[in-house]
Amino acid sequence: MSVILEAKDLRREFGALVAVDDVNVQIEEGTLHSIIGPNGAGKTTFFNLVSGTLRPTAGRVFYKGEDITDLPVHKTIHRGIGRSFQITNIFPFLTVHENVRLACQALGKDSFRLLRSHRKYRQYLDRTDEVLGQVGLTDKALQVAATLPHGDQRKLELGMILAPDPEVLMLDEPTAGMAAEQVPELMNLVQSIQETGDKTVVLVEHNMNVVMSVSDRITVMHQGALLAEGTPAEISADERVQTAYLGELYDSAAEEGTS
Amino acid sequence: MTSTTLDQSAGLGDWLRRRRGLLASFALLVAFPFVISIIVDGQGLAAVVNNDLGNARFLQGLAIEVFILGIYAISYDLILGVTGILSFGHAMFFAVGAYGFGILLKTFELAWPVAVLVVVIAAIIQAFLFALVLPRVHGITYALVTLGFASVFWIVIQSSDLADYAGAEIGLQGVESPAWFLDTTNERFIFYLLCLGIFFGIYVLYQRIVDSPAGRVFVAIRENEDRALMLGYNTFWFKTLVLVIASITAALAGMIHTMHQPIVTPNVAGLFWTVTALLVILIGGMGTITGALIGAAVYRLLEYYLDRWFGGASGLLIGAAYVLLVLYVPFGIVGTWRARAVRIKQGRDRLLRLFTGGDDGRTPARE
Repeated sequence: MSVILEAKDLRREFGALVAVDDVNVQIEEGTLHSIIGPNGAGKTTFFNLVSGTLRPTAGRVFYKGEDITDLPVHKTIHRGIGRSFQITNIFPFLTVHENVRLACQALGKDSFRLLRSHRKYRQYLDRTDEVLGQVGLTDKALQVAATLPHGDQRKLELGMILAPDPEVLMLDEPTAGMAAEQVPELMNLVQSIQETGDKTVVLVEHNMNVVMSVSDRITVMHQGALLAEGTPAEISADERVQTAYLGELYDSAAEEGTS
Repeated sequence: MTSTTLDQSAGLGDWLRRRRGLLASFALLVAFPFVISIIVDGQGLAAVVNNDLGNARFLQGLAIEVFILGIYAISYDLILGVTGILSFGHAMFFAVGAYGFGILLKTFELAWPVAVLVVVIAAIIQAFLFALVLPRVHGITYALVTLGFASVFWIVIQSSDLADYAGAEIGLQGVESPAWFLDTTNERFIFYLLCLGIFFGIYVLYQRIVDSPAGRVFVAIRENEDRALMLGYNTFWFKTLVLVIASITAALAGMIHTMHQPIVTPNVAGLFWTVTALLVILIGGMGTITGALIGAAVYRLLEYYLDRWFGGASGLLIGAAYVLLVLYVPFGIVGTWRARAVRIKQGRDRLLRLFTGGDDGRTPARE
């Protein structure tokens, strides 16, 4: 297996705070790679650095051996990296169909056409139907996106990333704010997309149980630095992880229990 | 499911049916000079073609002003209503066309097609100037910067140094009509038809633009620009494209204005002229394109008749009318009409479900 995405000595400072401290991560093609860590570990900052929404203070990001650190945001998607956000980011007052169709259209070269109706570009409509089927929103295609329940909005967002058929999917807490019973549904969706499409998925998650069952590899971050990396089994056996991450969780759980 | 969003098979009959509103209003406006000639002047149809008219001639002129205002406002609707760029420099887009065309014809004595070409090139350059600041400032700051641009133009155009060209505070006058069909004095009816044609042409063009792949991206930028960027759209170039289209359109309106009016005053570069565009699309319905045209008619006629009936008090009445409008018709005439149409459709669907044994869960079927 080859490395598809690589972060080399990635560093980001906000004033005196070092949010990401010289992190090295290699993500292998076709794997589901999770990045976990307690609150404030720098997961999302790391994520933004890799996907190009933030510029690093130092270090480089490589995609298939190519330096993509300074690539503008709108170009990373054309290279094959799709990303979702922790906060749902859709076009709230457009229909579900139009949300996905816009994502499909971005892939092609017709976006500067001014005179033909967008309904005449069948390829994007067909792709939209395909994606809506994949994320299970076909029945809600004509609803205005803002009227969808939160769980469906997360699915819609997943669909918008899937639309251009990227090689790498970067998901920042896709289950954030979802009801507990909806979480497995979405995670199964993510896993099936990864397996059937032979895609690479980079997942930032807070929910430990979810990550353990679906991941091929796990990277643990703590206070901006890389703490451990390995298979789920290795990670759950790692003492440093237990003290830093699990320990903290158990401590807070214990505190909640006693108070 | 999504096939409902696709359009049905095309064909001439189908096309005519879908465009019936447009075609009917076009026919009405072609007939308008004849109708008012009979009603107002009691004259025959030949009088219209021969330009042998009294009051009806003035009303034709008023209609031409509505067309000019409509073309001008529609370009502002593309910028503000469709794409969501807040620009307060729109009067400059119009004034560059109005002054540019007049000066090129009068002082430089260019042939009119050459003058049109030069104005279009100037409009494109101007749009790029407005686009240049786009990545640097957003929202209200962009509005202020563009207001600054327009103010500089407004001051320069009435400076005494340029009096030989632009006529200082008095304005540009004495521009002679360069072609027989551009002569609003002697060939009023032909000029009316020309303006009507351009007005409808621009309208159909804009409808197509908003419905095109690029137009959908404009709407996406209005809705959530960051998301559009993340989807892979280089939003800067789309916004630049919007400014170029709007700038050329507004310049076109300005050129017709120069042909129609005996004097081009510095007012067409002033802030109030931008506010006029804003009011027109507020009246008509922002982002609806059709609203800009309806708003232009309502605005111009309201302004004219209130001034005629109430004189000095008209400004106060117009102000009151806007307050009422914003309070009770916040989405404008077309916007409110469309929302109402949706509600009627929903109501009808619910009724149908009621009678056909609906199964949507909300309206249980009655036995």
